[in-house]
Formats: sequence, structure tokens, C-alpha cells
Amino acid sequence: MTSRVAGRSGRQAGFERAAALADGTAQARGRAGYGLVGPGLVYLLVFFVLPVFTLLATSLYVKPPGAEVGQFVPALEFGNYAVVLGGYWPELLRSFGFALLATVLCLVIGYPMAYLIAVRLRGRAFVQGLLLVLLIAPFFTSFVLRTQAWKQILADEGFLVQALKTLHLMPQGASLAATSVAVVAGLTYNFLPFMVLPIYANLQALDHRLLEAGRDLYGSDLTVFRTITLPISVPGVLAGTLLTFIPASGDFVNAAILGNNRNTTMIGQVIDSKFMRVLDYPGAAALSFILMVTILVLVTLYVRRFGTRDLV
Amino acid sequence: MGQLPTTTSPESIPGTDLAAPGHQPAGDRPAAGGAELVLHRVRKQFADFAAVQATDLTVPAGEFFALLGPSGCGKTTTLRMVAGLETPTAGSIRIGGRDVTSLPSYKRPVNTVFQSYALFPHMTVKENVAFGLRRRRVRDWRGRTEEFLRLVELHHLADRRPAQLSGGQQQRVALARGLVNQPEILLLDEPLGALDMKLRRQMQSELKRIQAEVGLTFIHVTHDQEEAMSMADRMAVMNKGRIEQIGRPEDLYHLPRTAFVANFLGRSNLMAGTVTRGGGGTDPLLEVNASGHRLAVHRDRAVSTTGEVLVGIRPEKIHMRPAGARLDGATADGGVNRVAGTVTDVAFTGVSTEYRVEVPGLGELGVFAQNRGEDLMRPGDAVGLAWDAAHAFGLDGRQDAAAGDGAV
Ligand SMILES: Nc1ncnc2c1ncn2[C@@H]1O[C@H](COP(=O)(O)OP(=O)(O)OP(=O)(O)O)[C@@H](O)[C@H]1O
Ligand SMILES: [Mg+2]
Repeated sequence: MTSRVAGRSGRQAGFERAAALADGTAQARGRAGYGLVGPGLVYLLVFFVLPVFTLLATSLYVKPPGAEVGQFVPALEFGNYAVVLGGYWPELLRSFGFALLATVLCLVIGYPMAYLIAVRLRGRAFVQGLLLVLLIAPFFTSFVLRTQAWKQILADEGFLVQALKTLHLMPQGASLAATSVAVVAGLTYNFLPFMVLPIYANLQALDHRLLEAGRDLYGSDLTVFRTITLPISVPGVLAGTLLTFIPASGDFVNAAILGNNRNTTMIGQVIDSKFMRVLDYPGAAALSFILMVTILVLVTLYVRRFGTRDLV
Repeated sequence: MGQLPTTTSPESIPGTDLAAPGHQPAGDRPAAGGAELVLHRVRKQFADFAAVQATDLTVPAGEFFALLGPSGCGKTTTLRMVAGLETPTAGSIRIGGRDVTSLPSYKRPVNTVFQSYALFPHMTVKENVAFGLRRRRVRDWRGRTEEFLRLVELHHLADRRPAQLSGGQQQRVALARGLVNQPEILLLDEPLGALDMKLRRQMQSELKRIQAEVGLTFIHVTHDQEEAMSMADRMAVMNKGRIEQIGRPEDLYHLPRTAFVANFLGRSNLMAGTVTRGGGGTDPLLEVNASGHRLAVHRDRAVSTTGEVLVGIRPEKIHMRPAGARLDGATADGGVNRVAGTVTDVAFTGVSTEYRVEVPGLGELGVFAQNRGEDLMRPGDAVGLAWDAAHAFGLDGRQDAAAGDGAV
């Protein structure tokens, strides 16, 4: 038993747990359990599985000769994928690049915020609540409106650019408006709460006595953070990065409002324009499908790498 | 048993960098040994509640000191102040002659075995135990960890996570995690509470052995009186944030100075009365009138020698015979320390029998009788009780005779 437990990976631990759940009480609970997940399964089937199949089918449609714009017939044209990949791989890559940058920035900005609120201000419920409200309050206004506001903030005549130029942190002729910087900044801002909240929830549950034990065992504040707080908060970080990265990779609002038409276009914009303006449904569907599968692969690799440790 | 490491780098030894001038840095001290702990007027106030009232306490280096007291009396708070996890509201704490009152926890040569274990859930048993050694960069941390895991009989579970252990196993990990560092002072907050009797006895002797061998100073908090009395060199009984009495276990037991200690430590019969003879003089014997009964107490065993007093006698010190039978063994003569009563309750416990005897004017007295083959008394039997004045003790009569009775 011991040696098996010793060498096992988190996945095995999961199996063990599943196995433990499966015997004994499981039989009594089984039927009720299925009953409870039933509505969820139906929902998933109708609103996720079926649309994915429709999407897949649409991505293979072809335009018959002489058809009007937006007219397609069912087919199995896998060439659609080659066409859109060949045409839009830079946008695809850029989307993941921007999303990754925004996720890293969100983590760098968001972790300390979550740590401050959950750990440092523990026991001071009022300040904690106040900071959480400050964090979330901007999100009561519309996504589009907030992004428009960022446009003002980053504008050439805005206080930020003026200040940076005064401090010589930015060349005189330069501009933030309609640049990649602006798009990543917008993404970071818009997805920050999705990073902070899961980490906050995780750190909030951190047992303060563990930190005391760490300090008692000769760990300085930094060491205690590195060896105890951070490893224990990995599930929160994992959730936060996923909640940030996934929607950010498919986002088109930030790039559309804060970017330009040359070098900030994200794949979401391409899909949007193909679907809404050019009416190239198979192309839009193929790109959507590629985006979905790529995210799925990336996330799987990521969770494999960081999420399989037997987390608390 | 391993020696304390002498090969650690200076900055990794807690406290060296802040050593007060005139004191040896920890790294230059002898390789092993405990340090003296001195609390001077230490007090802890939580908002409007005094968890620990101004306390003076000196524990010499290498002593096994037990802290005993009912739940909520401030034992953990006291330990936490020594560990540096709580800042005293007032007073100072010295370890090995060095004032550590404002030294952060991680720089104190102190480790704690926490009441709540506080094991790191994301680490294996082995990693938990190695934590302190690795922070101090002890070279042979692997060997030491292994050695102490063996000591607590957990080496076969070294790669498990705490969540996969039983309560008793977790407690032993906590014990090993503190012990392995062999700190100058080890604070043990009920370190054996979750263990079964056999393992508990075994760990008690291991603890005692390690403590004696390395000469560490142990401050041991426990609910178990027997454990405290059998292990400790000296002990303190705490009540409501104050230390009621400090001394060797047998002294505390034989000569309690307050009603609380008399009742909390073992059991006592406390009888209220007034000193009638020998009060002001130099007579070695005081005579007390308790509801018409004449009781004698040695002057040097009495806290107060005039006026209202409580006379105490332990239940096992009372001789009991059927009414009218000769009471021998007791130096009771002239009717002193000799009362008559009626058995109201009999509890046979194997080694001894515990009786309750109703004595007119004194209430119910407890009497423990060794089972040497005599017939048991039965409820309703009329009996005579007597005891040696040398076993009685006198307390201040102004306290509640029931203080500490039934306290946990
Ligand atoms: N952080 C705190 N804030 C307010 N009161 C506290 C705090 N910590 C402890 N107390 C109070 O101080 C008193 C002493 O607590 P402490 O933990 O020292 O008791 P204890 O003697 O260790 O008890 P036990 O045997 O149950 O562990 C208790 O009444 C407790 O409620
Ligand atoms: Mg306690």
C-alpha cells in the first residue's frame, strides 16, 4: 500500500478517490446522483454538444457555383480548414500571444491583490469587503463602455500618455492608442477580476495556522510565502489563469476598439467579420473550431503540467 | 540520538544576527542543550479579555516543565508568546539570557508542537518533518528526518500526505516535526492527546528520554494530570490566566496552596472551619473547629493560621472502619481528626474502591480504600473515619471550597 501511494501521481490519486467513492455508499447515492446531474446533462447536450456538431458540419459546407453571397450547401470540404489556416494563422498566433501576455499580467497584478485582501487583511472584514467591491464595481458597467473608456485613458492627449512623456518614459512622437500595448492593456483590465476572484477564494480558505507553523520552523515571511502560501494557492492560480486565458484568446472587443487594422487583429475579430459581414459561414465555423480545439489542447497540456499534483 | 548541528551557516541559525551584545551567538553555543526561559510580568490582553495576567515564570535550562490547567485558562496563549506568534501586551521574555520579546518567531530558538498539528497539507510526511532542518540548511537533513520518523514509528508512511493519516499519526508527525530540530526550548501543546494509551505511554518515555539525553528545555501543556505528574520535573497549575502554584509534582499534590489546585490536581476533601487553638502562637499544631468536629493541621502546612480556614485531606489518606471498630494507623487521639458518618455511595474501580461518606456538618467526604481483601462497605453502613494530621493541609478560608472541582 505504502509504496504504491508513494509513487503515485495525482491522477492515480483521483482514481483511488473515485474508486473509494464507488464502493459502499455509492450504490445508495448513485441513483439520486444521476437524477441530480440529469438536467445539466440535457442542457449540455442541447446547448453545447449539438451546436458543436452543427458548427463542425457548417465548417465543411461549400459554396455552389453561382450561388449568392451567404449561400452554402452541405458538403465535406476539409479544404476549408487549409484555406482559413493559411490565411489567418498570424491572427491566430497573435490571439494566443495577446491572451498569454494578458494572463501573465493579470497574474502579476492580481495575485498580490488577492493576497492582500485575503491574507494580509484577514479579520478586517470591512476593508476586505471594500476592496472587493472596488475590484468588481467597474464591471457593473458594460464591457464595451469600459473598453471605450480605456481608449480615452490611452489617448494621445490623455493624462497617462502626457505623464509618461513628461517623465521621459515614452518618446515624444510615440502613441499608445491603436497599438498592441493598448489591446493587451484592455484585455488585462477586462479580465483582471477573473484572475483575482478565484485566487482570493483560495487564499481566503488558507489556514493561517500553517503560516504560523512555517514561521515557527525558521521560515522568514518570504520563505513561508514561497514554500507554503504559493503552493497551496496553485488551484486558485490555475482556475484564474484558465478563466482569463480562454476568454481572452477568443475576445474581439478589445482588439476592435483599442487596436488598429494592421497589426493587432485577433482571431475573434476575423470570425466576427466573416460571420457578420462577409457571410462566409464555413470559414467562420472552421476558424471557431480551430480556436476551440487549440484552446482545448493548450489547456489540457497546461492542466497536465500544473494541475495533477494532489492538490489540497 | 543525533546531535544538534554545528555546521550550519551563521545566517541560517535563528537569532544569531540579532544577538544582543554581550551574549554568545547561538552558533557558538555547545552543540546541544536547552536554554533557560524567563517570563517577567508577561501579560496578554485580547480586546477586553485578559487571557494571561501578569505572569512571572522561570524555567531553568534542561527542565521538563508541565503546564496544567482547565480549558481556556491561557496555556496556549502563554506558549504562543514564547514562540513569538503572539506579542505580549506587557512584560518581557528571555531565552538563554537574551531578551526575545521583540524577536520574530523564525529567529527564536524555539519550536512548537501545535495543539492543532498545523501540518502542511501539500507536503508529504517526510517533507513536513524536514521543513525546519531545511530552512536552517542542516546538512544531514535527510538522515535526521529519517531518524525522527523512525522514532515516532512513521517511517513507513513517509511519503503520504497528512490527509491520508489517522489523527494519532498526524499528531506524531507534528511531534517529529518539532523534535527533529532539537531547539533550545520545545513547546508541546497537548502533543499526545490523540494517541491511545499504549502509544501514549511509549511516546511519553521517548519524549522524556530525548529531553534528558539532549538536555532540552520542554514546556509541556497537557490535560492529563498523570502525564504531567509522571513526566515533569516541575509543573505549574494555571487558572483564569494566572499561575496558581508552581512546584515539583509531588509537592503540588501533597501540599496544594489554593482550593483550585487542591481540587484540580487529584481530588480533595475541603472542610471549612475556624482556628480555635494554636492560631497566634508557635504551637506546631493548629486545631480547627469545623461544624463541631475537631481537626488538626500542622502549622507549616497551612496557608493561613488564624480565623476562617479550609482543612483539606486527600481521599486516599483517610482510614475507614465500621463504626465502633478500632481505627489504627492514624495518630488520631482525643477525638481529633476523627469523624463518624454513613456510606452513601460505593464505586468499585478494581485497584481501589471509592466511597462517598456523609458526615453530619461536613457534608460528603470522598474516601479511597485500597482493595487488600477486606469486605466492601455498603451504602447505609455506619463508619468511622480518621486521618493523620501530617497529611492534612490548611488553606485560606475565604475561597470557594469547590473551586476547580470538575474543571477540565
Ligand atoms: N485571538 C484571540 N482573541 C480573543 N480571545 C482569545 C484569542 N486567543 C485566545 N483567546 C481567549 O483566551 C483564553 C485562553 O486561550 P488559550 O488558547 O490560551 O486557552 P488554553 O489554556 O490553551 O485552553 P485549551 O486547554 O482549551 O487549549 C480563552 O478564553 C480564549 O477564548
Ligand atoms: Mg490550548
